[in-house]
Amino acid sequence: MNTNSNVYTIVYTTLIVVVAAAILSIAAMALKPKQQANIKAETISQMLTAAGFSSKEDLGKLGNDKVLEMYSENIKTAFLIDAQGNKTGELETEVTGIELQDNLKLENKNIASGNPSLPVYVFEKDGEDINVIPCYGAGLWGPIWGYIAFNADCSEIVGAYFDHESETPGLGAKIKDEAWFREQFKGKAVDFAHPDNPFGIIKGGAPKEDRSKIDAITGATMTCNGLDAALDTWFKAYMPFLEKKAAAAAEDDDCCCEEGCEDGCCEDGEGHQHEHHHHHNHQEG
Amino acid sequence: MNEDLKKTLLNPIFKGNPITVLVLGICSSLAVTVQLKGAFVMALSVIIVTGLSSLVVSLLRNSIPNRVRIIVQLVVVALMVILVDQVLKAYAYAIDKQLSVYIGLIITNCIVMGRIEAFALGNKPIPSLLDGLANGAGYGMILIIVAFFRELLGSGTLFGLRVLPASYVPNNLVILPPMALIILGCIVWVQRSIQKDLQEK
Repeated sequence: MNTNSNVYTIVYTTLIVVVAAAILSIAAMALKPKQQANIKAETISQMLTAAGFSSKEDLGKLGNDKVLEMYSENIKTAFLIDAQGNKTGELETEVTGIELQDNLKLENKNIASGNPSLPVYVFEKDGEDINVIPCYGAGLWGPIWGYIAFNADCSEIVGAYFDHESETPGLGAKIKDEAWFREQFKGKAVDFAHPDNPFGIIKGGAPKEDRSKIDAITGATMTCNGLDAALDTWFKAYMPFLEKKAAAAAEDDDCCCEEGCEDGCCEDGEGHQHEHHHHHNHQEG
Repeated sequence: MNEDLKKTLLNPIFKGNPITVLVLGICSSLAVTVQLKGAFVMALSVIIVTGLSSLVVSLLRNSIPNRVRIIVQLVVVALMVILVDQVLKAYAYAIDKQLSVYIGLIITNCIVMGRIEAFALGNKPIPSLLDGLANGAGYGMILIIVAFFRELLGSGTLFGLRVLPASYVPNNLVILPPMALIILGCIVWVQRSIQKDLQEK
């Protein structure tokens, strides 16, 4: 046969492309459930790590099913909020049908357009609520994202976990790899007084007494700037919700005192408010 | 015949190594050699892709229209690469994430196309498969040697386990791509001092 004729060439290439496409579609369809389960378990283990239930390495060894179980056992509620911080819908948390709002890229766009649907995952650990929220932004080479865990009244960050698609290994990738970087977030807080810059990752070292600033990573300036911008954007978007949480907690304390409950409670409330007040002053100062 | 097969299998490992002698596949060897684990999976993926692509192209070699042979080869290589990527995503998700774009970039790895053009188009399927596997292995071997030095000196670890004392200050230069090129240069230097016939006059 003349393998150089036009007809042969066209038929041959068409055939090759169709066969290749068929093989790929079958492979993609067959592997898709497993791949999506991996992505879901990955997202959940990032949240669990941020909330302090386990470490990412340990969760990686557990396997997908155990990770989903752990999530389902420890989560109290998961819901969506709008730009004003009002609840707009619930997310399923039963192990059989866990729902996540994991299209962070889309929500990042929605934040910019002022109409986001943001997830809040409320875990329960040692009797206390932990509120986990995501963030998303641009690193140096590709997207970066992560999860930040707050205490019950959202006055303090209790943990964080970050991930990236293609930051430089050994430099920008340290936002994920270096435990000390994530540890810095513990005990920090969102600066409600500065909604446009509620958090800072500072090159050259953050002032120790500033509760909403942490040190950047040497050699990873662009990635850290990207993460800083991502946190600012998302914290700002969540701020109505975070402030409501803080206000509700303060109100609870007041109620308790008015009703004349036991001494311990009152002192607790006052002490807490005092601390909060002090914190506020400092931020303005 | 057996002697030929043996030569096909062993030549690309040392004497005709695709990276140090043919100088193919340099870019990915700079990118994925920061850590041994990544280099290892990358090596394995390339071995599978070079082997299977050479096999398939060799099976098709008498039917491929000469004018579009590069395009047909590309379709075969791309098919293999995407399959490897999809399988990794399903069964080795963590490592696939770490290698990210570089798995996809195996398509552009000159070794794959180079071996198809130079060998698989003119040889029977079994020798082509072996040639592909061996060239992938030759590539992988260099990758692992470079990654060994870069992870050891750049992070003080091997396969993620700390081997140098904590007092060792990691050398950040080793992590950057230029250092991979320098280590590669050293390997070429060592090979050329052993294998005198490679030295240019």
